[in-house]
Amino acid sequence: MASKKQTLSRRRFLKGMTAAGAAAMLPCRLLVPGTAQAAAFNPDEFQVFRNACPRNCYDTCSIKSYVKDGVLQFVEGAPESTFTDGGLCVKGYSYTRRPYSPDRVKYPMVQDGRRTGKWRRVSWDEAMDMIAKKILELKKQDGSLLGLGMTKYSGNFGITNYGVEGLMSSLGYTTRFVGTPCWPAGIDAQNYDMGNMWCNDPEDMVKARYVIVWGANPAWCSVHTMKFIQEAKRRGAKVVVIDPVFTQTAAKGDVYWQPKTASDGALALGMARHILDKGLVNKDFVESHAHGFNEFADYLRKNVTVEWAAEQSGIPAQEIREVAEEFATADPATIWIGYGMQRHTNGGASVRSIDALVAMTGNIGKEGGGARYGHLQTWGFNYNAFIQKQPEGSVGFVGAAAKGEFDLTADQKTNYSDRTVNINKTAQAILDTKDPAIRMLWVSCKNPFGQDFDRPKLQKAFDTLEMVVTVDQFFNETVANSDIVLPVTTLFEEWTVNASYWHYWLSINEQAIKPLHEAKSNLEIGAALSKKMNELSPGSCTLPTEIDGKEWMAKEFNQGIHDLFGINDWTDLQKGPAKAKLASSASWHDMKFGTPSGKYEFRSDLCAEHGHKALPEFKEGRKSYDKFRLLTPHTKFGIHSQFVNLDWMKEYNKEPFVYMHPKAAAGKGITDLDMVRVFNKVGEQKARVKLTDNVAEDCLLIYEAWFGRGSDFNVQNLVDDESADMGAYKAGAPGVAIHDQFADIERA
Amino acid sequence: MKKQYAFLVDTELCIGCFTCAMACRNYYHQVEGVVWRQVYPLSEEIYPHRERAFLSLSCNHCENPECLNVCPVNAYTKREEDGVVVHHQEKCIGCGNCIRSCPYGAPKYNPEEKRAEKCSLCHERLDADLKPACVQACPTKALQLIDLATKQQTNQIQYPAGYPKMERLNPSTRFILPKMPKMVRR
Repeated sequence: MASKKQTLSRRRFLKGMTAAGAAAMLPCRLLVPGTAQAAAFNPDEFQVFRNACPRNCYDTCSIKSYVKDGVLQFVEGAPESTFTDGGLCVKGYSYTRRPYSPDRVKYPMVQDGRRTGKWRRVSWDEAMDMIAKKILELKKQDGSLLGLGMTKYSGNFGITNYGVEGLMSSLGYTTRFVGTPCWPAGIDAQNYDMGNMWCNDPEDMVKARYVIVWGANPAWCSVHTMKFIQEAKRRGAKVVVIDPVFTQTAAKGDVYWQPKTASDGALALGMARHILDKGLVNKDFVESHAHGFNEFADYLRKNVTVEWAAEQSGIPAQEIREVAEEFATADPATIWIGYGMQRHTNGGASVRSIDALVAMTGNIGKEGGGARYGHLQTWGFNYNAFIQKQPEGSVGFVGAAAKGEFDLTADQKTNYSDRTVNINKTAQAILDTKDPAIRMLWVSCKNPFGQDFDRPKLQKAFDTLEMVVTVDQFFNETVANSDIVLPVTTLFEEWTVNASYWHYWLSINEQAIKPLHEAKSNLEIGAALSKKMNELSPGSCTLPTEIDGKEWMAKEFNQGIHDLFGINDWTDLQKGPAKAKLASSASWHDMKFGTPSGKYEFRSDLCAEHGHKALPEFKEGRKSYDKFRLLTPHTKFGIHSQFVNLDWMKEYNKEPFVYMHPKAAAGKGITDLDMVRVFNKVGEQKARVKLTDNVAEDCLLIYEAWFGRGSDFNVQNLVDDESADMGAYKAGAPGVAIHDQFADIERA
Repeated sequence: MKKQYAFLVDTELCIGCFTCAMACRNYYHQVEGVVWRQVYPLSEEIYPHRERAFLSLSCNHCENPECLNVCPVNAYTKREEDGVVVHHQEKCIGCGNCIRSCPYGAPKYNPEEKRAEKCSLCHERLDADLKPACVQACPTKALQLIDLATKQQTNQIQYPAGYPKMERLNPSTRFILPKMPKMVRR
């Protein structure tokens, strides 16, 4: 017998919820088992919706959401997807808490003095009035809207969220922060080598006989791929993990290599030399499908030895020989190139070396093989929300603007363009940009203070801005440095569609619950601003003043998407996610490469034209500027600054730590769990220390996260904005050398 | 042997991702501080690397549950049909006997209810032919539901290092031990 009184323990969950009437009807039988004979779970008691995680993750999980009385009760993974297989991750399962978090931004609010915390609630109309008047003032004073900057990235990767860019275009030509802190060096490298970034279906990794996971940590950052690696292992494949940190993924491999950070290029070239010497090169591939292999072979013979690679990397020569031979003779063999290993001043060059290693063994274009990095094969949407016309007579930047890596639209021919600045140098770009200066900033789908580099400089830069508008779900540090915050919907409160850059599944995101409080989607915010702009100055914004999110989502579909996924209509996705119909699970299976020669290019003249070496030659890493190498990779409890702040997540991850080798700690008089201060030329950060030989002696490791209220922890206090070698070609701006950072440490 | 459901924790497959723990919270919305399933890193004495091997633990649904034995108001029952140990919160008076007595720390005190609560093994889901929420969620199938009445793999053990050996209770959880990769370090 279930008793309704048992629902009391659910009170916390309901705090901050507007639909208070629904509280009395919560399914107590589900939540608190009454007796051993409690009625079985009955799915018919729920409305079930389809959602998709939009948080810039390999896995982009397809979600089933169970709603009762208008309240999201729990989420599950969609059973249809063979990639996620009915599961989510620790972050995905915390989603149930997200819309109801007491820390959500609930209404439009204005802060009287940045970082004062003196927030007051305003109506949407008042907020839009303030913003619209400022935009009109900029246009009047500057003669253009280039003084309006927009920084947006991947905090919400729903296709309709490209409506943020659409809003900016509908106002005029603005200043855009382009590029990506994520993966640009590797994207360029793969474009030079193969003509695109295109990876095998990760599900085919089970066919691999040899797997090298190089600078990736799927156990934390792509949990659903781990089962394919483990299945390959169960079928007899050897799994080698190469990482400067003994990661959770490394703990699950057969062999773990801990090379010197940023020596990946040397390691790959050393392996390549040994394969060449042993006559294990795949002749058919290098002769029929590749360009410039002989030159690469000459380079290896003249400049590379296994002993040299051993010296550069710290991995013994015998180990390099052994793994190289095993890799070259296993069929198929694959390397997963992680985004972590290219966040270096020599990252692009290193990726090219690894690509070459995979190519010379004939594993490109092969099922179960591949130099896996990422793909955008399933992103062929209309970008209807993205593509908006500027108002008549808009004045902009003269000259071409760089395009971001997710800009899949055709080039537009106009006299003017947006002005672009490097997203990886946000602070410097705000400080340096003149004629006109960036005076107003619109932030959405992004938390620059949690993500962008050189936080102390960023604060100085923001302080030069006349108005900062941030669209967010939580009062994070960027919001603290803003004047106006606008509450935005969670994935459960809006319509959109999500694709992955790793697997080949496509998922619809249905609106499952009504927006809580006064939250609006990015598209609706655009419509509200357009309405105000046109009231104050007719014709000053071309975006419609009323937008139905579902209709706009539907407009993103086209025949190409239907054909690729074998669907008749977007509504088919309401039955479950769909997988792209692939001719082969292998990328480049037809050996038709997108390079100028149409072949795999060991020698890329295009790469040389862009200021790099034509061959995948070794490139030195960044010189150290402090005592320890500082690494700030991802935590399993969050994606950049998202999730860690949720009270549900803090139950398992209460505070940040600095990880340090015991021997190095002994030299500094530091003992386990001491409070320490990590400092360098950028700034400093305090946290407690955990001693572990998971990190090398010359390394400090701090996971990137935002802990929310009551914590000032931020690794961006320690990371400068040094550029990676590549990224400008395809992503619009070079990548950033996130892992080429150095710092010192002492007891606090 | 009668049917006895049990959790199998394969620490070789377990990546310590906490998905199981959060899947439980997602389903039951425990109040702050109440954790039915926790993921415990093995100490470096057991696995020589910090936070790289884990035991995912909740209630063990023992053959002879101490919680049931010490409860003064019969708020615990053990299901005949599958051995699930159920806590009936409506009967609980919050005396804390079970919390103090369970050597595995499974029952938790709910400060809002002022009563105990613990892992139910999702028996209402079992009755609907669904897996427990944590088991369904595990991305590597490291956490599985098994029936001890059927033949088990030979590499399963009942008392791994660091886990209290309580033979009188006969906890049902079974474990597969973690392996180590060959380490090549500079």
